[in-house]
Amino acid sequence: MSTSTIKVTIDQHEIEARPGETVLQVARRHGIDIPHFCYHDKLSISGNCRICLVKVNGLPKLQPACNLGCAPNMVIETAVEQVQQARENVLQFLLVNHPVDCGICDKAGECRLQDYQHLYGPKQSIARDPKHHKRKLYDLGPRITLDNERCILCSRCVRFTREISGSNALGIVERGNHSYVEAEVPGRFDDPYSDNVTEICPTGALLSKDFLYKCRVWFLQPVRSVCTGCARGCSIKVWRRSAVRQQHMPGTDSAHVAYRTTVFENAEINGPWLCNKGYDQHKWMARERLLEPLVRGRAGTVAEALAEAKRLLESARNPAVLVSSHASNEELDVLQSLLGGVAVYVHRDWLPVEGEVVEDHLLIRADKNPNRAGVVARFGEREFDATAGHDVVLAWGEFAGAPPGAAHWIHLSLFGTPAEVPATVVIPVSNTWERRGTFTNFEGKLNAFEQVFERPAGVQHAADVLRSLAS
Amino acid sequence: MNGTVFQTFPITATSHTLGEYRARGGYAGLGQALREWTPAQVGERAKASGLQGRGGAGFMTGLKWEFVSKDAPVVYLCCNIDEGEPGTFKDRWILEHSPHQLIEGMLIASYALRVRHAFAYIRGEFDLPLRRLEAALQEAYAAGLVGENILGSGFSCDIVVHRGAGAYVCGEESSLINSLEGKKGFPRNKPPFPAVRGLYQKPTVVNNVETLATVPWIMVHGPEAYAAIGVKKSPGTRLFGVSGHVERPGLFERPTGYPLAQLIHEDAGGILGGRKLKAVIPGGSSTPILTAAEIETVTLDPESMTRAGSMVGSGAVIVIAEGTCMVRLLQVLSRFYAHESCGQCTPCREGTDWMNRILERVIAGQGTPADLATLRRLPTGIQGNTVCALGDAASMPVASFMKKFGEEFEHYVTHGRSVHDGRLAP
Repeated sequence: MSTSTIKVTIDQHEIEARPGETVLQVARRHGIDIPHFCYHDKLSISGNCRICLVKVNGLPKLQPACNLGCAPNMVIETAVEQVQQARENVLQFLLVNHPVDCGICDKAGECRLQDYQHLYGPKQSIARDPKHHKRKLYDLGPRITLDNERCILCSRCVRFTREISGSNALGIVERGNHSYVEAEVPGRFDDPYSDNVTEICPTGALLSKDFLYKCRVWFLQPVRSVCTGCARGCSIKVWRRSAVRQQHMPGTDSAHVAYRTTVFENAEINGPWLCNKGYDQHKWMARERLLEPLVRGRAGTVAEALAEAKRLLESARNPAVLVSSHASNEELDVLQSLLGGVAVYVHRDWLPVEGEVVEDHLLIRADKNPNRAGVVARFGEREFDATAGHDVVLAWGEFAGAPPGAAHWIHLSLFGTPAEVPATVVIPVSNTWERRGTFTNFEGKLNAFEQVFERPAGVQHAADVLRSLAS
Repeated sequence: MNGTVFQTFPITATSHTLGEYRARGGYAGLGQALREWTPAQVGERAKASGLQGRGGAGFMTGLKWEFVSKDAPVVYLCCNIDEGEPGTFKDRWILEHSPHQLIEGMLIASYALRVRHAFAYIRGEFDLPLRRLEAALQEAYAAGLVGENILGSGFSCDIVVHRGAGAYVCGEESSLINSLEGKKGFPRNKPPFPAVRGLYQKPTVVNNVETLATVPWIMVHGPEAYAAIGVKKSPGTRLFGVSGHVERPGLFERPTGYPLAQLIHEDAGGILGGRKLKAVIPGGSSTPILTAAEIETVTLDPESMTRAGSMVGSGAVIVIAEGTCMVRLLQVLSRFYAHESCGQCTPCREGTDWMNRILERVIAGQGTPADLATLRRLPTGIQGNTVCALGDAASMPVASFMKKFGEEFEHYVTHGRSVHDGRLAP
């Protein structure tokens, strides 16, 4: 790339545009807000919402900033009366048939239409015609509900399925102001990336059925985390109740519930996209947990379980460790520092389940574990060897059954009921959302996650368990 | 019969056939162009003639051709036969009575632009024009005038006829291209212009029927002869379709600069039933309306029309006699635009329907003065702010009707009925 830049002036600020940049892009990069509905960084330019109209000195007509290439010494005005009037008009047009039902709309609080109406819209509507009624609460597919009255036909969702997910599942049918978004097979919008349309929809037209009417978004607070669904390790936001709102609901579980997971835009790993499995992380994490240790099938205290595990390990002739590929790099470092000559094996906690997309062109990887790369970098790729005659195995992670050949089995696990975990000692460990750390994804990129919730009382951090077993 | 380029022959049952067209000197221009001139020379002749697009915008045809890169490996030509502007019926006449003239024009243009495949996008509602065009193409293919190695010159060009599905907006060049590609007829954002990236992302020229059908005459008679007709800045003849309240509605080929009053009062036989003239929509339904007083001195050329505050557009002169209710007339137009808005961009999608609903309410006797204020304001929010010109087309009539016949609207609102109740007396 050449270093040549183009000088343009936006609202008296002289800024430098890169070759090929549009006015909207360069304005965004320099923190100048030009409102936009249909423009999206990763989608083709549609130029249909017309709210990004700006005045270019020398041109008689207002120009859409999203489709306007920067030219040398271009002078652009976004704050002049003419532009403000145009924005007001566009918002007036968009709201003529919009139900303005923010009070019962899940999108309220994070709605572009709402934001722009408050920032740029007319104080009062000049319309007095009854509004057109369209389909409401229409199931576009198993996961998405569509309200055609709230839709502003920006075509972001349509372009997403055509250009990003590749399913071509959505389109706009009919003509004029009776046109509406529809799935190719009505009711069957089952794109594995379908939930992204709720994220890119600038209004409350496309909503997640899972989150529908669950909580007002301003009661929630996002925490940055990493999806554990596959080796991509996409950045996500886990939405928990904000501290202030937790105090309003003492004595209920709502403070410890993740209401939804959405994408956290991360240019290096996932961009602004996340697959449906990622959007389902909160459900995945809400599976029934193991909350207290088990010693030979009976519930015990943490101290009992640790003592028994330590006794087994000390009396072992040929112990081995099986490392979880869901462990964070920090936990793996602790294990590595404590090992001292014990045989180490690695394994994949999860394999693709039936019906799941194994691998695709966009994000989903065949390896369904978030830190396989971190494990392999430290401990190699050796799978468990049943013929090596290990009498005691410290198994860390999720297993379908006991390691073959082992007389005793100490299991550090997240999930599972006693019937599913027939180990000698089972010590429940914290999940990704109860600790901080990093994962290394399949490309070798580190991605950090924050702690979302406190761990339950009977649950230990795996690193602490390892330390006390080694002491 | 008294025309120069088009209306030069008596219409008979066979006047549209290849034999008769050849007898009138048809395909001589094509032969001459292929034999004597290089593509660049043909383009220069078109440019030198000063021919302007006849679809409505009036862009210089030679210049449009020049914008296409000389190095482009593939160039397409589209003939826009989606004649949808209410009041316009000139392209229909050409296709019905002289289809070979269009085919010859398309071939000459294709030669100038080095086009291998030319497309004729014909509106779905056309029946006889489609049949005439297809029959003419068959004749031309059989005679070796279209297809491989035309007239032994080594130049090959195929013409593909594509039928539209009934959308006014597909007469806009970029939505025509989208429709031709099999997509929904949504206009594209410009830039890029079709001359850079058009049909199948290749440089494309979209020309009107009348424009292309004029090209053979220019080849035969020379660009100087064409440039000498009519006014200097926009020379040539045009087909003016006069409709509405006139004694003899019809199509008249007249040189540019012809007085509008003469066209209405002499050629079209004056106002129906000897009534007084009230107003004229001079260039298709989307052009601003002119009052009877305003048309007195207007001539049919862009300069004079611009001075009068309107446009020549597609040459469709709609004459309105005294006694017509302008409110109801405007509602007929607004209903059309609300129905034909493609729905892609916000101002047009919502605005056309909104204007129509206000007008519907006014006509039902339930309008208020606030409605008229809204009606005056809405066109300002639409005009110039849309992807294509349909937004302008829809808002210009509303703005001009409100401006020039505002008192009729106010009367309707205050009295709940029109100033001109009842039928137009015979």
